[in-house]
Amino acid sequence: MSLRRVVQLFTLALFLLCLLLAAGSIAPRGLNFFLRLDPALAALTLVSGRYVTWSLLPAVVIVALTLIAGRLFCGYICPMGTTIDGTDKLLGARKGPGPADRLGRVKHLVLAFLLGAGLVGVSYVFAAAPLSLITRLYGLVAQPVLALTADRGLALVPISSGVEIDTPRFASQLFVVVFFVLVFGLARFAPRFWCRVLCPAGALMALLSRKPLIRRRVSEDCTACGLCARSCPMGAIDQEAPERTRHGECIVCQTCRDVCPVEAIDFGAGVSGDRPDEIFLPARRQFLAVGLAGAGLAAVNLTGLPTLTGQPGPGRVKPDLLRPPAALPEADFLRRCARCGECMTACPTNTLQPAGLAAGLAALFSPTVTPRLGFCDPACHRCADVCPTEAIRRVPMGERVWARIGIAVIEPGRCLAWEMDKSCLVCDEVCPFDAIELVQEESHTVAVPRVSEDKCAGCGYCEHACPIESRAAIRVSPMGALRPARGSHAAQARAQGLSLIPAAKRRRTPAATQSGQAAPGFTPAESDKPAPGFTR
Amino acid sequence: MDRRKFLKSQIGGAAALSLGATGLLKPSALFGAEFPDIAAVKGGPGPATRAAVQALGGMGRFVKTGQKVVIKPNMSFPRGPDSGTTTHPEVVKELAVMCREQGAARIQVLDNPLAPSEQCLENSGIREICQALDRNMVRMIEKGRQFDKVNIPKGKAMRETEIMQDVLGADVLIAAPVAKSHSSGGVSLSLKGMMGLIYNRGVMHWRYDLSTAIVDLNTVLTPALVVIDATRVLSSGGPGGPGTVIKANTIIASTDRVAADAFTVSSFEWYGRHYQPGQVPHILEASQRGLGRMDVENLSVEHLTV
Repeated sequence: MSLRRVVQLFTLALFLLCLLLAAGSIAPRGLNFFLRLDPALAALTLVSGRYVTWSLLPAVVIVALTLIAGRLFCGYICPMGTTIDGTDKLLGARKGPGPADRLGRVKHLVLAFLLGAGLVGVSYVFAAAPLSLITRLYGLVAQPVLALTADRGLALVPISSGVEIDTPRFASQLFVVVFFVLVFGLARFAPRFWCRVLCPAGALMALLSRKPLIRRRVSEDCTACGLCARSCPMGAIDQEAPERTRHGECIVCQTCRDVCPVEAIDFGAGVSGDRPDEIFLPARRQFLAVGLAGAGLAAVNLTGLPTLTGQPGPGRVKPDLLRPPAALPEADFLRRCARCGECMTACPTNTLQPAGLAAGLAALFSPTVTPRLGFCDPACHRCADVCPTEAIRRVPMGERVWARIGIAVIEPGRCLAWEMDKSCLVCDEVCPFDAIELVQEESHTVAVPRVSEDKCAGCGYCEHACPIESRAAIRVSPMGALRPARGSHAAQARAQGLSLIPAAKRRRTPAATQSGQAAPGFTPAESDKPAPGFTR
Repeated sequence: MDRRKFLKSQIGGAAALSLGATGLLKPSALFGAEFPDIAAVKGGPGPATRAAVQALGGMGRFVKTGQKVVIKPNMSFPRGPDSGTTTHPEVVKELAVMCREQGAARIQVLDNPLAPSEQCLENSGIREICQALDRNMVRMIEKGRQFDKVNIPKGKAMRETEIMQDVLGADVLIAAPVAKSHSSGGVSLSLKGMMGLIYNRGVMHWRYDLSTAIVDLNTVLTPALVVIDATRVLSSGGPGGPGTVIKANTIIASTDRVAADAFTVSSFEWYGRHYQPGQVPHILEASQRGLGRMDVENLSVEHLTV
């Protein structure tokens, strides 16, 4: 096995290990490292998000590496590239000249499109940035399948009875699966078709590696047999003049060097006397036109009904998206979120789900809290720990508790106590904030729940545990969510008169019951009951 | 003992108890008259627990050499002992030590929490204290495959449920609830606590009447010994708190779970008032259906202080 394969497999294994550790809730920090390497994800997010951060420094390192040694990232590090190498081998990618040779410029147009949308303030990074795509594939599709397989496997082992592996479940998987079937299927036209023709990170790095310091060199021994050009998976070598290299297309895999019968090829410090290389660049006009198209679609997106303006009140039509705790204000959040799915992979209760198209194209795959599936543990902030773009703010745990994501609202018509007069208190029992009180109302024989809005953080324990099947009788609505872009959640919450203190730390005690009134759950004594027609 | 035998013995025990409750037989007569119906011991959690069990004849009356024991405390809230929402760790430990002294082959402390299990195990302090005895003694059982379906022949409403396999495989069940108020059940003591051993509790709320379902469940889950931890009584705001915690420093033990629960209700104030056991619907129904006696005034109670 060549050195390159070893490096590729090692980096892919490392990438998968990071994802698995995130999914297993083992080491929360730094697991998003690979996402922060992606130059397209970084550059486009900085444009659409209009911010600067140190956390994307790894991408700058990749940019510097590309200036020095070309697209090493594509050839050695990118898990998407490695995965495509694998599927290309499996599917038997077409060798030799093909349509991909003429389409190299398309990736620059993809980049232009995303850039145009980013300038308008809409992030379509999720649709093309390789690390966003591949993290979603492995995190939201492959990982649950692996967990399911392992669990079913365990069930077959008699001595392991009782041991179960939780299988996470995710919405919108079909989008991801279909997308990747198409990407992998492109092997029919050329190896690494995605990387050559479509990848915006590839485009960015192609621009930077037109004349890298270390590059492919061809000596005078070359017999122009053309074997290297036919073997190059990237189509980076001129078929007519194999001594000429399109360095921007070269991923330094060194296949050409290995196949050369006369050993005329090596990689080293470039000579300034190299002949100028042709590169795939679209005409400026084309670049501008496609950029404008991106900006146009972004503008259309912003006028779509599902687009959340971030403003509460009557302008808010739909959808009712619950965002992870301490997410930035909606508009900023969507500009930054790369939809990589890392937060959903890492979420220990599986409550974070990718939004479907109902939330609008601009919110596709963005994370939403889904309490029916899992509560959002107030003592957990793994989503923020793994977010590569800080779309979910990393705040101290003392602050995290105050990052309210909504308010629980009871639907009395579905509630066992309110509507069916059955004793139930599950919402009260599970509430970690003591925000639900069971009160004995004159109209009911059983105690009925009421929500104290000022104590509710919207964590969704109640909605999750409500015994009513399908739609719960108590549900978290995003109203009242606290999502300051900067500053303290706790200070803002206190200023609003909220008291989001975990029940374990609360010192309030319920008032003693009045005479003539039974404590919740007790039957009133005969002497307490008023005579017929009398009130208490 | 296999599951069939276990169920048979459980049903047999229930039948014997119901016979006792009809008044034809005094429960005390069933087990020999030398023991009181209820032991109420004031003192520290550990010593009072031991003294209460001794007053009922000692652990040897309930646990024989080589038997498998399950202790069911309340440890399903992620809060510390001060909150009054979970059984005091020393009560659980003392029970486990006494079982071990009798040569129990396996002792398990089990619950099925609603809150994240790791937080419950950590904060209740029960896992930590029992780890000195056995690393795997204290466990949370939550996954579907760890439960088996069981019929409830005497169920009025709930006719079947899924019970922890470890409980079905045990010879002896000991209920060790904390004494606390419960906003829908009135109180949560030994009868209500059995809900922590099954898989689907939601159905008990939405499909059935909760009190009836609690009694139904208690026809198949019959602890041989009930030790109620009233060292701290969560008198209001239960089951999760916060609420008024009465430092009662009392351990209440009985072989009759209805009597133990009823005695606990009448011994303390709830929400600042006194209540009769019959004002708690599931205790009333349990007594009416012959699971035990709630007429505490007619029962023999041994009061001790250690």
